[in-house]
Amino acid sequence: MGLFSDIYNTVAKFFRPQEEQEGEASKSVATNRLKLVLMQDRTNLTPRILEQMRSELIDLLSRYVELDKELLELNFEQEGDQVALMLSIPVIRAKDEEEIEAAIKAHQEEISEDEECDETESEETEETESEEGETVCESEESDTDETEKISDSEKPKKSKKKNVSTPEEMKSSEGEEVCEEETEEIQG
Amino acid sequence: MTGRVIVITSGKGGVGKTTTSANIGTALAKSGYKVVLIDTDLGLRNLDLLLGLENRIVYTIVDVIEERCKLKQALVKDKKNPNLQLLAAAQTRDKTAVNAEQLKDICDKLKEKNDFVLVDCPAGIEQGFQNAVAGASEAIVVTTPEMSAIRDADRIIGLLATKEEITSTKLLLNRVRPNLIKSNEMMSVDDVVEILEIPLVGIIPEDTGIITSTNKGEPIVNDENALAGKAYRNVAQRILGEEIPFLDLDEPKGFMAKIKNVFAKLKVKV
Repeated sequence: MGLFSDIYNTVAKFFRPQEEQEGEASKSVATNRLKLVLMQDRTNLTPRILEQMRSELIDLLSRYVELDKELLELNFEQEGDQVALMLSIPVIRAKDEEEIEAAIKAHQEEISEDEECDETESEETEETESEEGETVCESEESDTDETEKISDSEKPKKSKKKNVSTPEEMKSSEGEEVCEEETEEIQG
Repeated sequence: MTGRVIVITSGKGGVGKTTTSANIGTALAKSGYKVVLIDTDLGLRNLDLLLGLENRIVYTIVDVIEERCKLKQALVKDKKNPNLQLLAAAQTRDKTAVNAEQLKDICDKLKEKNDFVLVDCPAGIEQGFQNAVAGASEAIVVTTPEMSAIRDADRIIGLLATKEEITSTKLLLNRVRPNLIKSNEMMSVDDVVEILEIPLVGIIPEDTGIITSTNKGEPIVNDENALAGKAYRNVAQRILGEEIPFLDLDEPKGFMAKIKNVFAKLKVKV
């Protein structure tokens, strides 16, 4: 009987693909998740930056063709040491010359408007682009992280009241901000 | 003579760095080579326990660096094999008690009189890692077929690639469970090698014998019958430049063919 059931089980295995598929899912889920996370680790592209890259690419390409924004795919593939950025863009409709020229013109106008932008706008652009290092607007240092930036934008309000602090102090660390608050209290 | 300095590292803790260090060191010493094992995990030393030498330690690496003893005095000889010596970590200090230059200096001195200096690296990528790597010219990255361990190993491999002194980085895949691989519930050796893209130096199967050997303070390479012991002896042979086929851990079909392929790649790189 024992031998019989052994043979039965071995034979039955060949006809039971479902069981293996479930297991395979667990392994390949792990492999795929790992590959994605490693690509992010290796390239320093966080999901947020990837999303930004995606939206910038959409902006750029939709000037020339009408594309399906929802189905645009952005992936990394690695072959040996070479990392390739794979972009798959479903095109809905080709734009005609006039449309393209109009879109380019509109974009160029946007750029020139950005260059003449006032300070409040420049701070907004910096918020979104700060992690890339170099930014379009050079009014303030781009390397600061978000927490510092928040304190930066808060500080000018305080300093206006006091009318004492110099721009250097405005950009100083949070530790000094505490000191400023203390002196303010004393003065009050 | 100038010996080889090999750092055994992983990034993640608990994947078997210390077990690997103890076993490769013991196996190399058994083959007649002079070996020094350095435990650089200051404050969390364990290599002495795995070798069963915990009661013999008088001086530690910090005593050598702070010149309370000579380097030779701090080396503890193994019970069975006088070819194997241990330089223990200090248990009462932390990673800041040593810097990279001091550790490199110790490695340089030890390699003059030994064939192998194996540096057991602490987990993490901070000071302890930088110290352990400083004197080494080769690295063995230990990982298990789990996502978190592989991710950390990838990070370590990236960091090692920035070190000019490290000329060879190889992978040791630990705690492999053939049954889980067979049922596709665990990443296979090929999967891991494909992701990490460095040559393989060993595949160690999960073995309950590791637990009992740790209990006794005797590395599993001394157990002729244990599969993990055999796998570690094979690793030592490969470090010595011999071409030893990887153990057949009964993976899905085509496994041996693939492994032979990996091995062929290894040969080309070496």
